[in-house]
Amino acid sequence: MNRLIAMDFVANQKNQWEEMLAALGVRSIDELLQAIPKKLHLQPPLKDDGLSEYEGMRAIEQVLSKNTFPQYENYLGAGAYEHHVPALVGAICQKSEFLTSYTPYQAEASQGMLQATFEYQTALAALTGLDVANASLYDGGSAAAEACFMALRANKGRSKIYLSPKVNPFYRGVIEQYLFSHSFTLHAGEIDSDTAAVVVQNPNFFGEIEDVAALFKKSKEQGAICILIANPLVYGLFASAGELGADIAVGDGQPFGLPLQFGGPYVGYLTCRESLVRQIPGRIVGETVDAEGKRGYVLTLQAREQHIRREKATSNICTNQALAALACLVALSWYGKHGVRDLALTNYQRAHYLHEKLIKIPGISPFSQKPFFNEFCIRFEQKVSDLLPSFHKQGIQPGFPVGEHKLVVAVTETKAKEQLDRYVEVAKHL
Amino acid sequence: MKNLFEKSQKGHRAYSLPKNDPAFEAFTPPADLLRTAAAPLPELSELDLTRHFSTLAARNRGIDTHFYPLGSCTMKFNPRVNEWAAALSQMTHCHPLAPSPFVQGNLEVIDDLLALLCDIAGMDGGTLASNGGAQGEFVGLRLISAYHASRGEKQRKEILIPDNAHGTNPASASLAGYHIHTLKTNPEGDVDMHHLKSLLSDKCAGLMLTNPNTLGLFSPSILEIAELVHKAGGLLYYDGANLNPLLQIAKPGAMGFDVMHINLHKTFSTPHGGGGPGAGPVLCKEKLKPFLPTPRVIKEGNSYHTVWHEPHSIGSIATFYGNFAICLRAYLYILLHGNYGLRRIAEGAILNANYLKLHLKDLFTEPYPQPCMHEFVLQADNYLDKGVKALDIAKRLLDYGVYAPTVYFPLIVKECLLIEPTESESKATLDEFIEMMRAIVKEIQENPEIVRTAPHTTPVKRLNEVQAARNPKLTALK
Repeated sequence: MNRLIAMDFVANQKNQWEEMLAALGVRSIDELLQAIPKKLHLQPPLKDDGLSEYEGMRAIEQVLSKNTFPQYENYLGAGAYEHHVPALVGAICQKSEFLTSYTPYQAEASQGMLQATFEYQTALAALTGLDVANASLYDGGSAAAEACFMALRANKGRSKIYLSPKVNPFYRGVIEQYLFSHSFTLHAGEIDSDTAAVVVQNPNFFGEIEDVAALFKKSKEQGAICILIANPLVYGLFASAGELGADIAVGDGQPFGLPLQFGGPYVGYLTCRESLVRQIPGRIVGETVDAEGKRGYVLTLQAREQHIRREKATSNICTNQALAALACLVALSWYGKHGVRDLALTNYQRAHYLHEKLIKIPGISPFSQKPFFNEFCIRFEQKVSDLLPSFHKQGIQPGFPVGEHKLVVAVTETKAKEQLDRYVEVAKHL
Repeated sequence: MKNLFEKSQKGHRAYSLPKNDPAFEAFTPPADLLRTAAAPLPELSELDLTRHFSTLAARNRGIDTHFYPLGSCTMKFNPRVNEWAAALSQMTHCHPLAPSPFVQGNLEVIDDLLALLCDIAGMDGGTLASNGGAQGEFVGLRLISAYHASRGEKQRKEILIPDNAHGTNPASASLAGYHIHTLKTNPEGDVDMHHLKSLLSDKCAGLMLTNPNTLGLFSPSILEIAELVHKAGGLLYYDGANLNPLLQIAKPGAMGFDVMHINLHKTFSTPHGGGGPGAGPVLCKEKLKPFLPTPRVIKEGNSYHTVWHEPHSIGSIATFYGNFAICLRAYLYILLHGNYGLRRIAEGAILNANYLKLHLKDLFTEPYPQPCMHEFVLQADNYLDKGVKALDIAKRLLDYGVYAPTVYFPLIVKECLLIEPTESESKATLDEFIEMMRAIVKEIQENPEIVRTAPHTTPVKRLNEVQAARNPKLTALK
């Protein structure tokens, strides 16, 4: 015997196993597998090659110890942002009743998750300044793609989508993937009466705040549906999507309550005007009453969804990011009405502090004169790839390189003045 | 109960922020760009927030609190050690765009997990980036399209999908630009071979099959099906939603499947989270590998790096690497079990399902008498004369202190109950469930009203879904 006992989550042991086989009138499991052609049967493994919980934990610690990134001061953004995650988020999301439940098909036994989702929808609608929201989508990229489909359905007959060239390229990739098999053109040219949707990101990939309101006004004159992609934290301070004239707001809820965790789980949010509600993809929770008139919540408008409409559904999405949406809700309510504004302002100020110091350094210039929020782009005279080792030597990941000379830098509340000053010192001595 | 917004108390707060510095305060955002009024988010102390969400949790059932025999969802135990792994800061602090040399551990997990999954499934390569089962289906279908296109067979625009498939199959095929042919199921619960033959042509791109299917039955004709589809030039897609009973029993790759997805939140125990996040890795045979999505993790010697663009790739599917923290959980689960433990999972799941079916079949109509795999269907149509439907039985089960099976799916079974106990449950739990079902049947005979109007003991009574859809109230502020 090569070990005492490996980890196993199968409850029944030999005696129950035998009782159940006897009840079924068979001698072995094999007798239950006669539908499987003989040639497909695998030999049962003879040797216990599992691990104990202790050994499994050590194996994970060992492999993750090869990640050195957590030791660096991180200024990467580009769609994923380092923020404080309130301790309450983990405490709530790890509650068994949330963590180990599934899509609330039996509403009466799932009121907790349903109400939380309803509150998430409310919080996102409030933040983006639009009427309604869905329960969640996979991530920012797929939320943007689903928004395009909403617009194409609502604007049937039109064949073009205007996609701003300054949309995050990682989002663009997902949008292109989703639209690939459909005969619509993605372009960055003229907006006209054949344009179903206008898709803009604000702040854009380079951090610039653009004149979205003017673009949307022009687009609406052509009957296009206006889709705004944004880091939702920007709405804590700056004009909401609704105020800017957006019909659909999408993006990633990650900055609220979700750690970087190497890209996921994050959560795609989607809010829109009431008129588009039947085009919404995925789950939606609605309020209703029970048999005694008491308030309760259910999955609603399900006639849009794949389990009812199959190939005619508004989306194929099924299981997606419910628990991540809960994390987002907990973080949003932890910050609350005033905290979200203060957090956004803190981000704004720290980013501007660093930006102002950096652009005074010879050899570094601003990418643009446009206003920005918590992320900006700077241009180096030298090649960025030549500069990175100096930053890395000082324990700093200075941002995301774009092209040969540009760096997109994200600054959040996690960076203290001393850290920002250290960044500036390294930049001065390149 | 009141919602978060109704509980809000002006001026209350839970948040704190890092120390400000006078040097920061010089920066004020341009007034004309600001929102006109603060977003109407709630104002609550941390205690009030904690209590609110704790109260909500108490109004929700999960596997940890209740037996959850929801068919086709594989509601097995979610080990806590998985949660420990996913909370380690050595992982959670990693940005997805961090330079490869700084995230060698994560890249190794991706490479190693793919190798383990390929071995389990009999496949040659894959991606972990798809965020869920449905997105995995979409990726698989995009691979099939790219493959046919590369061979100059763009006319293959049709996908065959059985009538008992998950709704995501046709929805994903539609998203991938396919025309869908619905394939009939024969009276034994297998693919109708005559119908299959009649639908195969040089327009056929492939067949999507769940095996065992959603009736809980393994297709005895699988090898013949694979041969027919391949002969017609089509490919076979395996919907891995029901992979659990095949672990170390049989491999989809050996059955002839060319591409598949796996639901890590089903077979590999990652928590369902009230509807995700899950993960839907896609695996494929050698001939489809060139088309796999980016990013790809490449191993060279003992180090790993990420490739973000590949000429033949279909491109990206997720914004970054997909739900990595879910993949890490599944990785640990597989390491803990080894092949030996995986086989025990499959056998345990099959045994539990057959045992439960044996004791429940006489209470209902049993449409398919042969042994099942990990789940089975029963028809609750024998109490319709008492006015009791499958839905009523499901609701009454809630009163008895369990979650309900899947009802009305698959669509081809009248008054369907789809029951999946999983390997995690003990015989004692199954026996209790059998007793509950017997008691409910007795109630139907003696006092059907109590079943028809169930549930009676849940936080709310039966909810009015019609009203919810007719007058949608989708936020608390409207």
